[in-house]
Amino acid sequence: MNFKKIMIVYRKELMEVLRDKRTLFMILLLPVILYPVLIIGFNAVMSRQTGVLEEQGATIAIQDSVNTHVSARLLDELSKIEHYTLIPAAENAQSLYTSKDIQSIVTLRDSVSADGLITYQIYVQYDETNDRSQLTFAKIRDALKASEKSLVEEELQLSGLNPEIMNLIDVRRLNTADSQKTMGKVLGMILPYIMIIMLLSGASVVAADLVAGEKERKTLETLLVAGVDRRDIVIGKYLTIITLGMINLIVNLFSISFSMQYMLSQAGIDLAGAGMPIKAIFILLAAMLPLATLFSAILLSISTFSRNMKEARTYEQPLLMVSMILAMISFLPAIEMNNLMALIPIVNIALLFKAVMMNDYQLSHLFLTILSTLVLDVIAIWGTIKLFGTEGILFRSEDDGSSLKGLKRGDKMREHVFFSPYNGMIYFVLALLLLYYLGSYMQIKDLGTGLLMTQLFVILLPALLVLKIFKLPAKEILRLKPPKIKEVLLVPFIAVSATVLVALVSQVINAIYPFPEEYLKNLGKLFELDMPLWRSFLIIAIAPGICEELLFRGLMPRFFEKYGIKVNIVLTALLFAAFHLDPFRFLPVFLLGMLLGYLTLRSGSIFNSMISHALNNSLALFMTAFAGSSWLKVFISGEDELRYWLAAPAILILIIALYLFHKVTGGKECVES
Amino acid sequence: MISVHNLVKAFPQKGGTTFYAVNDVSFSADDGEIVCLLGVNGAGKTTTMRVLSTVFKATSGTAEIQGWDIKTHPQQVRNNLGFLTGDTGLYNRLRVHEFIRYFGRLYSMKDEAITRSMNEMAELLDMKDFMDKKIEFLSTGMKQKVSIVRSIIHDPPVMIFDEPTAGLDILTARNIISFIRTCKERGKCVLFSTHIMREAERLADRIVMIHKGRILAEGSLDALREETSQTDLDDIFVFYVNQYTEGAKVEAHEF
Repeated sequence: MNFKKIMIVYRKELMEVLRDKRTLFMILLLPVILYPVLIIGFNAVMSRQTGVLEEQGATIAIQDSVNTHVSARLLDELSKIEHYTLIPAAENAQSLYTSKDIQSIVTLRDSVSADGLITYQIYVQYDETNDRSQLTFAKIRDALKASEKSLVEEELQLSGLNPEIMNLIDVRRLNTADSQKTMGKVLGMILPYIMIIMLLSGASVVAADLVAGEKERKTLETLLVAGVDRRDIVIGKYLTIITLGMINLIVNLFSISFSMQYMLSQAGIDLAGAGMPIKAIFILLAAMLPLATLFSAILLSISTFSRNMKEARTYEQPLLMVSMILAMISFLPAIEMNNLMALIPIVNIALLFKAVMMNDYQLSHLFLTILSTLVLDVIAIWGTIKLFGTEGILFRSEDDGSSLKGLKRGDKMREHVFFSPYNGMIYFVLALLLLYYLGSYMQIKDLGTGLLMTQLFVILLPALLVLKIFKLPAKEILRLKPPKIKEVLLVPFIAVSATVLVALVSQVINAIYPFPEEYLKNLGKLFELDMPLWRSFLIIAIAPGICEELLFRGLMPRFFEKYGIKVNIVLTALLFAAFHLDPFRFLPVFLLGMLLGYLTLRSGSIFNSMISHALNNSLALFMTAFAGSSWLKVFISGEDELRYWLAAPAILILIIALYLFHKVTGGKECVES
Repeated sequence: MISVHNLVKAFPQKGGTTFYAVNDVSFSADDGEIVCLLGVNGAGKTTTMRVLSTVFKATSGTAEIQGWDIKTHPQQVRNNLGFLTGDTGLYNRLRVHEFIRYFGRLYSMKDEAITRSMNEMAELLDMKDFMDKKIEFLSTGMKQKVSIVRSIIHDPPVMIFDEPTAGLDILTARNIISFIRTCKERGKCVLFSTHIMREAERLADRIVMIHKGRILAEGSLDALREETSQTDLDDIFVFYVNQYTEGAKVEAHEF
């Protein structure tokens, strides 16, 4: 790495970007103009509207069935309201109200209690959803309140009591939230969302231009033959994106803070001593910097991957969408920062932002957030450098879209064209959508039947249909080949020991990051289905063992074969874990997925992983079914915690069994792939 | 000088097959010599030059630029090489002198050396009037001159031109041709590729004919004429292509 060259690239890119009027507008001018105009304009319109409503006034029909000096006083107070007209309620009062000729009907009644005290009931008819009607109600209520006070005081004095008795109990607020915190709460909710989105969109304007733009303008090749290392080019460009992303962020932050402050002071919130929370802003910039680096790295890799700027902007959309959804977490009232949240990118910044704005954060969360984002960042930039060194990516030809047309059945080419990583991801996303919408719909009524239907119709059927529609040989592709006897004998040892180990891993995670109560309750439901054991066995063990395996060890690995067996196993396991839509079980499911992938891809027979999967699930079922049996206590402590000493024999058995499995299978599939 | 030894560049294709864009290519070019890589579109000219300029990695075989191996010393190879193509793009938002200085700095040149070299080239190519202009406002001919200066700012001993006149009008193309001659006069080793026979005839000291990634023939125009008993370069080229196709047919029969 050559720092001098990096700076040469960086300075040139910065100069070039800053000369682009479009970029300048997006990054500097837009935020400066946008917020004041939005907020101040909004305020002006709002106050103007209120003024208009006030001036419009209202006509109120009065139905006075009391007619005493008290009702006269009340009505007198009402008539003093500016712009308001009182009319006596006639027969047609209701129809006038419906046709909005009058805004309210006020009815006065009185009643006498057992000890002879007369009380008055005043009914105010209005429409809560109508702004004008609502304002009318508020005005009437305030006017009546005022006369109520003086009337009661007079009554008390007449009875020879001190009117002060009305203030016998006086509740007074002692709000410990200072104006800083009040402003922080408002800002903390909206700011993180806007900041994260602004950071991303600002950086993406620049990123698309930096590599995809160079490809489009045919300048990339000259840069590559210049006396500079590719890594230095990547890092120079990367720093450019970070810089402009951060500039955009800072401009946004100040612009929005000033505008908000203006709005709050207009709204009458006391801002004495609040000012700009300067310290908070510095902490936030420190926390946003890693996110800026992460976004920059991802955007740069997208830009590198894309053939032109248009393509880059298209590929940026999913990133923007996911970030928006994650950033929205700051709008949710109950979610607060904890160690687990601090590990989730974007979510951690949003929550930290909120906490910092309210001056109520922990330093450990700040460090965890920065650290976890930096780890991802390093991975992303490493990937980008790799990508930048890949000839196939850097010089992708325009006609990359191969088609199945013209390729006959049985032609090996058909399979090669169909099973591309791109198609694999498309299939996965569609399956995920199907699971999310159809699967959860199926499970609403009856969890048990719903689960079974999900396995059959959401997971299995589409996979088989795809093979049928594209006329691909299902048996071969899904590896529906009988396993060797030796393999089948080893699989139970592998499955049981792996289940124990993965369960222990879950326990450790749970000990560090306790799962939420609500979550455990939901998961428990699965095992407490009110049905005979054989049915839950079918639903929980057999169906996933067949259906999930056919998808994740049968179909999915075919899409990623070009990456080699190791990467393939990891990739499909990641997808398998993501498919469970459960962040708390991600790691355990991922580990199991890798094992299952290995079993099938290594042996060439999907039955091995089917048996293993079914065994794994039935073991969990078994433990719940026999929980409380005295003999199970040897392995279990507390309610359902496995004893940690189990790890030792489990590791030993797993290693031996895997070693033997590896030997028995002899790597015929490895040769194939 | 350039020397290429059994160079192979293969691209894996969809369907598990491999496409050999450059297949066992060997040739050399000396200082003060213009060598032309002649072939039809898709023959492997651009791929060969991209491997030589370290944009692509060689699958097997290797090459040396001024004695530096492209595999082990890519940085030194780039520093000894000027590279120019007909459809090179430029950074539109930079001024001409900024653009040239950028590349000079990437070649680790000192600022004074860049200025000196830039002024000399501006004089030679009659560019003084637009050195301070932004590139987006230049004409095609002016842009091509900027590209030329960019490729030679670090005074490399070896120049590679990939289809340097492709897509250029006649006047601009003439500038390039005369620049290539200037390079030779200054003792540089020049490799240029083209599919235009006339260009090869007019410029090249030696011609390397390339077809489907393989070298068909190599030699001076006179030597090639003598070997094929044809006078026209077009006919010479067709002669070798036919010879190659027949050979491939025979080979196919044998296996």
